[in-house]
Amino acid sequence: MKPSTVKIKKMPSRFKHQVPKYKVTRSAACINCGTCAKSCPYGVHERQEGHNKMSVPIDYKCIGLECKNNDFYCVAKCPRQALSISLNPMYETLGDYRWTADMITGTWIMAETGYPPERKDLEYNIGNSGGGFDKLRLKFPDKPSKIDKLEISTEIPLNKRNDGRANIVISTPVYGGGMSFGSVSLPTMVSKAHNAAIWNTFTCTGEGGYPEVLQPYNDHVITQVATGLFGVREETIQRVKIVEFKYAQGAKPGLGGHLLGEKNTESVARMREAVKGTSLFSPFPFHSVYSIEDHKKHIDWIKQMNPDALVSVKVSTPNDVDMVAVGSYYAGAHIIHIDGGYGGTGAAPDIAKKNIAMPIEYAITKVHNFLKDEGARDTMTLIASGGIRTAHDLVKAICLGADGAVIGTAEMVSLECVRCGNCESGRGCARGIASTDSELADLFNEEWATQRLTNMYHAWNIQLVEILQKFGMRSVRELVGRTDLLEHIDYSEKSSN
Amino acid sequence: MPKKYHIHAKVTPLNLDYVYKFKIERGENCINCGKCTKVCIYEAHKRGKGGDPRKMADPNTVVCRNCFRCIQECPRGALEKSLDKDYLNIGGSYWKSDMLITLWKQAEDGKVPVTGAGYRGPFTGPGFDSMWTDMSEIVRPTRDGIHGREYISTSVELGRKLNHLSFDECGNLLSKIHDTIDIPIPIIFDFPEGNLSPTVKVALVRAAAELNTCIVLSPDHIAADTKKYIKNIIPLISHKEIDKHQALIKSVRMVAIDYKDEVLNSLPALQNKIKKINNVLTIVRVPATKSVEGLVAQLAQSGAEIIHVVADYCGMETGSTGTDRRLAKDIIRAVHLKLVEDRIRDEVTIIFSGGIAMAEHVPKAMICGADLTAIDLPLLIALGARLYEEPEKIILFPEGLEKISVRTIMHRIVNLMGAWHSQLLEVMGAMGIREARRLRGETGRAIFFEEIDNDTFGKLFKKEKL
Repeated sequence: MKPSTVKIKKMPSRFKHQVPKYKVTRSAACINCGTCAKSCPYGVHERQEGHNKMSVPIDYKCIGLECKNNDFYCVAKCPRQALSISLNPMYETLGDYRWTADMITGTWIMAETGYPPERKDLEYNIGNSGGGFDKLRLKFPDKPSKIDKLEISTEIPLNKRNDGRANIVISTPVYGGGMSFGSVSLPTMVSKAHNAAIWNTFTCTGEGGYPEVLQPYNDHVITQVATGLFGVREETIQRVKIVEFKYAQGAKPGLGGHLLGEKNTESVARMREAVKGTSLFSPFPFHSVYSIEDHKKHIDWIKQMNPDALVSVKVSTPNDVDMVAVGSYYAGAHIIHIDGGYGGTGAAPDIAKKNIAMPIEYAITKVHNFLKDEGARDTMTLIASGGIRTAHDLVKAICLGADGAVIGTAEMVSLECVRCGNCESGRGCARGIASTDSELADLFNEEWATQRLTNMYHAWNIQLVEILQKFGMRSVRELVGRTDLLEHIDYSEKSSN
Repeated sequence: MPKKYHIHAKVTPLNLDYVYKFKIERGENCINCGKCTKVCIYEAHKRGKGGDPRKMADPNTVVCRNCFRCIQECPRGALEKSLDKDYLNIGGSYWKSDMLITLWKQAEDGKVPVTGAGYRGPFTGPGFDSMWTDMSEIVRPTRDGIHGREYISTSVELGRKLNHLSFDECGNLLSKIHDTIDIPIPIIFDFPEGNLSPTVKVALVRAAAELNTCIVLSPDHIAADTKKYIKNIIPLISHKEIDKHQALIKSVRMVAIDYKDEVLNSLPALQNKIKKINNVLTIVRVPATKSVEGLVAQLAQSGAEIIHVVADYCGMETGSTGTDRRLAKDIIRAVHLKLVEDRIRDEVTIIFSGGIAMAEHVPKAMICGADLTAIDLPLLIALGARLYEEPEKIILFPEGLEKISVRTIMHRIVNLMGAWHSQLLEVMGAMGIREARRLRGETGRAIFFEEIDNDTFGKLFKKEKL
């Protein structure tokens, strides 16, 4: 169930046009009679005031071939058969195997409306990567349950240690990933925090300091301690409820962070107590941690400094991620946050993103089972990230054994990221999301961005509740580790034949 | 500390057209308002069509980075974008167009390709794409990560090695230690087939020399002006022509001979014959056929020093056309495991080539069991060659290449190798491996798709057969 602070409001794209899936072509046979303009309820066809000729069709508004069952279908209505609809070649330039154009479009619709798309022509739950989540399917029971959706809880506790520290419960099993000031713009960062407060969940500062404007949301901010220790001070550790150690990032495991000099502007440099224009490295690994004993010392240090805070440990997914997780459990961490290789928002070498460490789908299963065997599963919160793109990915991750997930790219896409991948250099993001360039960072305001994020979280929550209802569950906590509710299209189908 | 090996990259643009991904077209309904010039931060849109500042020029789509801003902000929706036709046609199922563009780019700036926003490709794929390299989270020998990476050694040793040392009763060494050759990167150049211009040939040799590695060349390609770099040339000769090439053998460090059936039985004699001319190492070049591992093992047993296994240009088994042909990953693993099984792996050096197309293929080939790799086509792609797989392998050189200087071409190849070297360091740094030699056969430090997928999802979802 959503917190009462969540208010849904339509928040359209900041751009005049959206990326069209279809192409509506008007041939020379058109006699400009205007029939299409009168019949199309979506506004694809227009004739501007005082013009004799019809305007060029506005492709992105067209709902595509599924319209042909409607009595207002322009192609059928046109007295001269001058109209045709086809797939727009532009659509192929949007998205990729993991985030398909449909998935990006679907997420945009969620961020705009607050609800999953009603359009049937978008496959927005599953990507096209041909593995992992994209091969897993949810196995719903034949008979739907009669559980009232209002009774279904999507809350999860983050402190399962019962150690006298804060009993933090988040209202939806998702929180925002660490993106530092410098890698993203201030409006992006603040709107993430504001949305986290609205949803009674968290966002993370990443490693780049704790901008003062985040202070109103202190209770919903995780501050990150990473190897560069940029912006880490005693008071930033003390003002939050969760402190996260970042050992590695899934997209670039073992490589550390790197902010290119061009993005290290005056304000970024001040926050990080560094020199403007220099490249900032957050080298891998922690030089204060050479062993699992050192790791415990690290955690004790934070626990001493802030006696109420929970400690999260963020690691990537090597072969022995399960042992690292158990080590963190014995060292006293509350949350083990595993970050798989196929996610990430910031700049990373392509070779690392593709090749180093395993995808999150395997790691969740490994860590969940190992913690279980060690008798530690019920005392640890397992959070997965790195490739959780949709509400369906979230559900699959939980079924594989996670308690919840951290998302990054889905939030960026809600703010109209097109995944062009040019966040890393020059002036940064052309769309103003991941840029500290004064001109580009002003492309949207906080109110717009916060609402878009709130809407997207809402749409995910609706999907999650619907899925839980179908499974006959009253809480998302019942879903953890329920691999029996999944099937894999390679293995399950083959064996049933 | 040994001296750091560093490849000096130098930005070297090549003023020739290459493939680009996106094509933007301006429709008839453009009202020349100039909004696109304002929103594009890459300067794809400019005024001045045919010298007329009132009209928008055709988009300079080469610089397009796919941000969609002009598309979305054009008041008339007059701009259209699509995948460029050349982009769609070039390459093939192995040599993907994105790969070619990235190689071209690395040759230009010598930098590790970096992008934002996560991985975009398929979950897994055939061959090398079905494995991940491991990393070490906390405890590892390369403590300094990327910043101490100059201290990661990428050098490899070529030559025959002893299985063990023998001593007499007094403790004096009886074994004769073989000569080996060290090269600082696990990559040598294999002369690419095709009609290369003399400048390109010279540039390839000079780049190999600059990098301190070697290039395999047939003697008729060894031009007079490359004699200076003869130590970096490995002449590829027929075993029947050893006498004919005596003078050449006297000036080089290594010789490669093409495998023929009669080479197997006469190998010790052939190697001795070559050694008598000059103390050089002999490479036996064998095609990666169906039974290559058996052949490699026999050659190794007969005393081969270095064996170069050559797959086709897509990393596939040669000598047949079946659909069950093995890919590089499996060929190398089979060769390596056969030698391990025969307890002779450590004594012989294995070079693998064919389909080494990206930096990641180098550490992956080594993890699978090769000591080093040889590359050919990426060297040409660095110069703007276009490769097509369908209907058959075709390589087209860009027009105007003949006017480009040897120096420029050499720099581009050095840049490409600089970028690959840095990427090798990234992978090794993450794995916590300090010496490239130790990558060989380290399958324990890799994650194989077939294994992990079956271990995870197979176990969970495969139903018991009734």
